[in-house]
Amino acid sequence: MADLVTLQPPGPRLARRRAGAGGARRSSPRSLTPRLRRNLSAYGFLIGGVVCFALFSWYPMVREFIMSFQKTQLGVTSWAGLANYRRIFNDPTFWTAWRNTLEFTLLALLFGFAVPFFVAILLNELRHAKGYLRCLVYLPVMLPPASALLLFSYFYDPSYGLFNDILHTLHLPTSQWVLSPGTRWPTMAMISVVIAATWMNMGGATLIYLAALQNIPGELYEAAEIDGAGLFRKIRYVTIPQTRLVLSMLLLLQIIATMQMFVEAFILDGGQGVNNNTESVVYLIYQYAFAMSSASNFNSAAALGVVLLVVLATFSGGYVWLTRTRDR
Amino acid sequence: MADSYARSLISGVQLNRARGKIIYRIVLTLVIVIFTLVFIGPLYFLFTDGLKSTQEAIAAPPTLYPHALHPGSYSRAWGEFSLGRLLLNTLYYAFGALAFQLVFDVAAAYSLSRLRPALGNVILALMVATLMIPAMVLIVPLYITVAHLPIVNISLIGSPAAIWLPSVANGFNIFLLKRFFDSIPKELTDAAAIDGASPMRILRSIVIPISRPILAVVSIFSLVAVWKDFLWPLLVEGGFNPPRETLNVGIWTASQTAPENMVLAASAIAAVPTIIFFLIFQRNILAGLTAGGIRG
Amino acid sequence: MHRRLHGRAGYRKVAGVTVTAALGLAAVAACSSSTTSGSSASTTSHVTVGGFCAPPSSSPVPYKEWNEDVAAFEKANPNITIQSIYSAQCDVPATLTAQLAAGTEPDVYETYFGDLNQALDAGQAADITQYVNSKTVPVWNDIVPSAIAPVTAGKTLYGIPIFNYTQGLVINRKLFTEAGLNPNTPPTTWAQVETDAAAITKLGNGIYGYGDYSAGNNGGWHFTSELDANGGAMTNAAGTTASFDTTQGMQVLEALHTLRFTDKAMSASQGLAWGTLQKQMAAGKLGMYIAAPDDIYDVIVPIDGGNINDFGMGPLPSVSGTPAGTLSGGDAYLFAKRDTPAQIEAGIKWINFEDLTLGQGQFNFARLKADGIPVGFYEPQLFQGATNTAYTALLDKYTTINESYYSTFVNANEKPDGQPADDQALYKSLDPVMLSVLTNPNANIPQLLAGATTAVNQILANSSGG
Repeated sequence: MADLVTLQPPGPRLARRRAGAGGARRSSPRSLTPRLRRNLSAYGFLIGGVVCFALFSWYPMVREFIMSFQKTQLGVTSWAGLANYRRIFNDPTFWTAWRNTLEFTLLALLFGFAVPFFVAILLNELRHAKGYLRCLVYLPVMLPPASALLLFSYFYDPSYGLFNDILHTLHLPTSQWVLSPGTRWPTMAMISVVIAATWMNMGGATLIYLAALQNIPGELYEAAEIDGAGLFRKIRYVTIPQTRLVLSMLLLLQIIATMQMFVEAFILDGGQGVNNNTESVVYLIYQYAFAMSSASNFNSAAALGVVLLVVLATFSGGYVWLTRTRDR
Repeated sequence: MADSYARSLISGVQLNRARGKIIYRIVLTLVIVIFTLVFIGPLYFLFTDGLKSTQEAIAAPPTLYPHALHPGSYSRAWGEFSLGRLLLNTLYYAFGALAFQLVFDVAAAYSLSRLRPALGNVILALMVATLMIPAMVLIVPLYITVAHLPIVNISLIGSPAAIWLPSVANGFNIFLLKRFFDSIPKELTDAAAIDGASPMRILRSIVIPISRPILAVVSIFSLVAVWKDFLWPLLVEGGFNPPRETLNVGIWTASQTAPENMVLAASAIAAVPTIIFFLIFQRNILAGLTAGGIRG
Repeated sequence: MHRRLHGRAGYRKVAGVTVTAALGLAAVAACSSSTTSGSSASTTSHVTVGGFCAPPSSSPVPYKEWNEDVAAFEKANPNITIQSIYSAQCDVPATLTAQLAAGTEPDVYETYFGDLNQALDAGQAADITQYVNSKTVPVWNDIVPSAIAPVTAGKTLYGIPIFNYTQGLVINRKLFTEAGLNPNTPPTTWAQVETDAAAITKLGNGIYGYGDYSAGNNGGWHFTSELDANGGAMTNAAGTTASFDTTQGMQVLEALHTLRFTDKAMSASQGLAWGTLQKQMAAGKLGMYIAAPDDIYDVIVPIDGGNINDFGMGPLPSVSGTPAGTLSGGDAYLFAKRDTPAQIEAGIKWINFEDLTLGQGQFNFARLKADGIPVGFYEPQLFQGATNTAYTALLDKYTTINESYYSTFVNANEKPDGQPADDQALYKSLDPVMLSVLTNPNANIPQLLAGATTAVNQILANSSGG
């Protein structure tokens, strides 16, 4: 009986415990021992995971937080208060990095979120070659990122790259792609990064959407058609609402992931780009930590990391709160 | 009687009409051609550019096929960049990490979902919150921790554990697994519990068999994550001889000092195992992803 | 000829990883327990010392030569074991940074000139003053002061230099000849550069006379060198304020602007970073650009497939025709604080054997020539006095290149000015200035310089404040 009660979800469990036959038993001290034992066995299952999280996630995070308020000179670590934070806020590239990251996120949402969804819709309609097309779409996901990105940087080369060759053959103006110097939104440089990133990653999202689409009951489309809905209305009023859960979850994950963009720009153009136009926040952290001589140091990188964390947490919190109220 | 056949945006009836058939054929052909060009096209160049000579690879304008074959780049890339070794390293790290994650993360998610210890919600929140921490933010404190593990004071640098153990701290796994376990009907586990089965027994005999879809998803994500990781393996496994880093890292390091055609040859070789793996397991992989989509 | 391939300021082909190894300021002081990377002075007689940067196996010839040297050294010194590191840590400074933060750096670690301060800040540099003298390093008194200064703080010696470089003007002799110019007399003034570049650009077919960087910190890097040649300096002597907003700075930028927009001798594709100009050189599409000699034998020829006899060098261009100085740098080995005296002595012995003895190790020109590696470049320029005479004689004896192609560069004997404090951050601030000068026909140079001065002063203030 005791086990049965524990397996029920919280809230109702509490109520059920008070009512009913088991209620009286609950209040006797003897019932604590099975409960303790249950907790112990539960912790037993948890311990491996908790230790790993503690050692490799929580402890480093705390350390990072502390580091952001320190400074190190001549081997001595001392308290620095808000000095690191002041330094990063005074750095003009700080604001550039945030602007660029925002630009990347927005572009990536356009390319990397909308495109897989509509590709999935398209693929869902086709009755033939489904297996082949699904394979095609997912294939780039499996490549080592360095391979794919080195290939793209080869294609993007302004003088011997394939893309400019294609443009040239079509009598279109060539581009400098990921090495474009512009800084006005949207920059060709960032678009180039997003194209490469989308090619590499869209397969996963596409297939997940495809699965979700296959679960939509056909009757809903019938009903919509009877009401006179055309193609786009059907998508708007049937497809999207039905896949809302998947869409919203993947949207959140995508935004969190794109705010942490690093490898793509790093391999394609060194990370900074011309005029710092592909420099992301995470790349700036990398620069502070590893790539600037004495002008900055790891404590500043820690401060920047904390700032990024706060932004992400606030955003996710807000997002979850917004979508939660709708689901109820 | 309502239509009971499954249909999607465009009904089968529409497609059967003459005009529908033609449009469908056109669209289908276009899609197949364009998709092949877009997804396989680059791979064609990946494999053939490695066969070009050093000068031809950077000739402007580029040639569509190698005018003179230099297959030597492939064998040189294989040997000089120790690609075989790097591949074995990567597989070792990936499957090892997967094993650790399956054991620890599944147990943890099971505990949080079914066994519900005190403070479970706090622990869960802390675990999922780590999703928000960018990897770069943690890199140096994590490195310091891995170099001097607290209490035991051993170093994991250069050891596979430096990749395996931190991989367990994956909030996404916990999130996915717990969610799935939450959705397992209580009746199933309750019945076993009433019969006196221990939590471990329930986990092994009931929960895990039912969870195959989500375990497949977790496995795929886990393998892919190790495969794609870059800066961390560079820091903890780089610089040893014979090399201990992953393939992804090794190719990038090679690209710093090698001519373009060698870099592409190495990249092409690195792509082959994934393609083969994919072709063999595509059904499982795609099934896993779709299951993740349904549940997710 | 330097064994390892590495960009001077980490201007790697694709990554923005910087050359001057960011020996990250560790938040943690060195752990006293030496746990990793092969450092154990086990017994009193046998010493293991590790961390020396070796060529990776992907450069088969230097790799073979290195291993031969290690074997020979260990045979002659049976109580010493040398442990080498093949690439990664040596080529990617991020690894070293992380190691310093954790106190797990190798016993002897290679750094770039200018990084001693960071190593001291991390508390990871050992004092080796008492171990280095003319007995342990015979050529020590003949090493040029500009190579010793970067590894010294006050009166304390912390490291040993093994390589240095200065920059000059690399020219494509073939293009010079085709354009009717004399490749044996490369231009020395900016005015001459303009004339020659214009002539080369007339060859058409995508060929341009001059090229320069303006991204990935490389723009600022080159600007610094060009400014030094013109008699200016990036900062004041104390490194506390910017000092490039001067006539000399203006002249450099105006010369570049004219080359680009008046002479049209530069390509319209700007925003270039490390790796691009070398490729253009190798492909015969570029007439001249600024670089150190190792660009030729480390990049243009082996990686980009250029023909070594197509290239030569002259001094850095300046307004007067005589370069007042040049950006310079180099490599040095520092010693971990935890090293035992035996390890320090063993390390010094190996470094002396491999890197500071003529006819041996990196100076084994006979072997390099026999193995098909180009010999004859006057780089490094570590020595003066009698040692230098012997060095040049040895180079002459085994040279495989036509040294006369480089004589104007060598004879200019440019004064090495090192690199400014906070170099990477400074270069980054000057990149947009270079880019604007090279892409905006109406670039307001005084305004650009003023803006950069403000930014640089802020950077310098930040770092001196800690």
